[in-house]
Amino acid sequence: MDLGKYLSHVMESHVVFSLNIFGVEIPIFDTIIVMWIVMAIVIGLALYFTRNLKQVPEGRQNLIELYIEFVTNFTKSTLGHHAKYFVPYFGTVLLFLAIANAVSIFSIIPSGEQLYHLTGIKFFEHIPEFEIRPPTKDINVTVCMAIMSIILVIGAGIRFKTFKGFLKSFLEPVPIILPFKILDYFIRPLSLSLRLFGNILGAFIVMELIYLASNGFVIPAVFSLYFDLFDGLLQAYIFVFLTSIYVAEAIE
Amino acid sequence: MNGWIALSAAIAVFTGIGAGVGIGVATSKAAEAVSRQPEASGKITTITVIGAALAEATAIYGFVVALILLFAKWGT
Repeated sequence: MDLGKYLSHVMESHVVFSLNIFGVEIPIFDTIIVMWIVMAIVIGLALYFTRNLKQVPEGRQNLIELYIEFVTNFTKSTLGHHAKYFVPYFGTVLLFLAIANAVSIFSIIPSGEQLYHLTGIKFFEHIPEFEIRPPTKDINVTVCMAIMSIILVIGAGIRFKTFKGFLKSFLEPVPIILPFKILDYFIRPLSLSLRLFGNILGAFIVMELIYLASNGFVIPAVFSLYFDLFDGLLQAYIFVFLTSIYVAEAIE
Repeated sequence: MNGWIALSAAIAVFTGIGAGVGIGVATSKAAEAVSRQPEASGKITTITVIGAALAEATAIYGFVVALILLFAKWGT
């Protein structure tokens, strides 16, 4: 098969099925389905880890407290005493992005056709072809996350400096800076979204090429540790880190 | 036409030079800092990784531009 055609086929997101709500056709892309899976994982983890919380942590409660403490410390280091308003949002986004970026390590799950050949159960044959790919390789997802971040920045600025103070901050320290300050609010989400999108898509394409070249034999597993796990977690962290820096700048 | 598009995409990826130099400088300074103050290596590692990821962004922009060049439908 033509390599370029294959790559562009892999890079795009495809319509899996479409919902019909009140006569409006809503196409459901595979990106959305993977995001549903990620959301289910996050919600499931949250429910599992927060049952039977005790004063003195034991067992699984230690793990979740470790995570909460990590996010709190990291938010405090950039936002100081305002941190407590932002910890829940940053924690959620970090967890979601980390799982979303690294979700392609689960693509080891066999497809419906392979399951049918393995087990011979008729039910598996009709599962449509579906592969788990990181949803953040779709630019719509990352743009959405970046817009959420910039809305948080503007909202925090208005909340902590009042609307007047927020407008005034556009003219500080010298009024000439106004156009650049306005441009800032467009460039920041652009760079946030493109950074995440480009990194994940680049790693994804490299991984696809490695799969093709090695026929999926052992070698991809080694590279997957770097390109899927390390790079994905790092990019999720950087996204949240930059958002917190922007927020810190807005509420100062 | 296709050849020119491929060539321009290749030129766009030259942004990788800047990112490479940037990450190299950051890492060399980090190594120096660790050799001077080994007890601060934890903090230095975090800063280096974040700095490297930020420096990487320029290379990523080049990559995105190359992708746009290759996969955008050019009027036809």
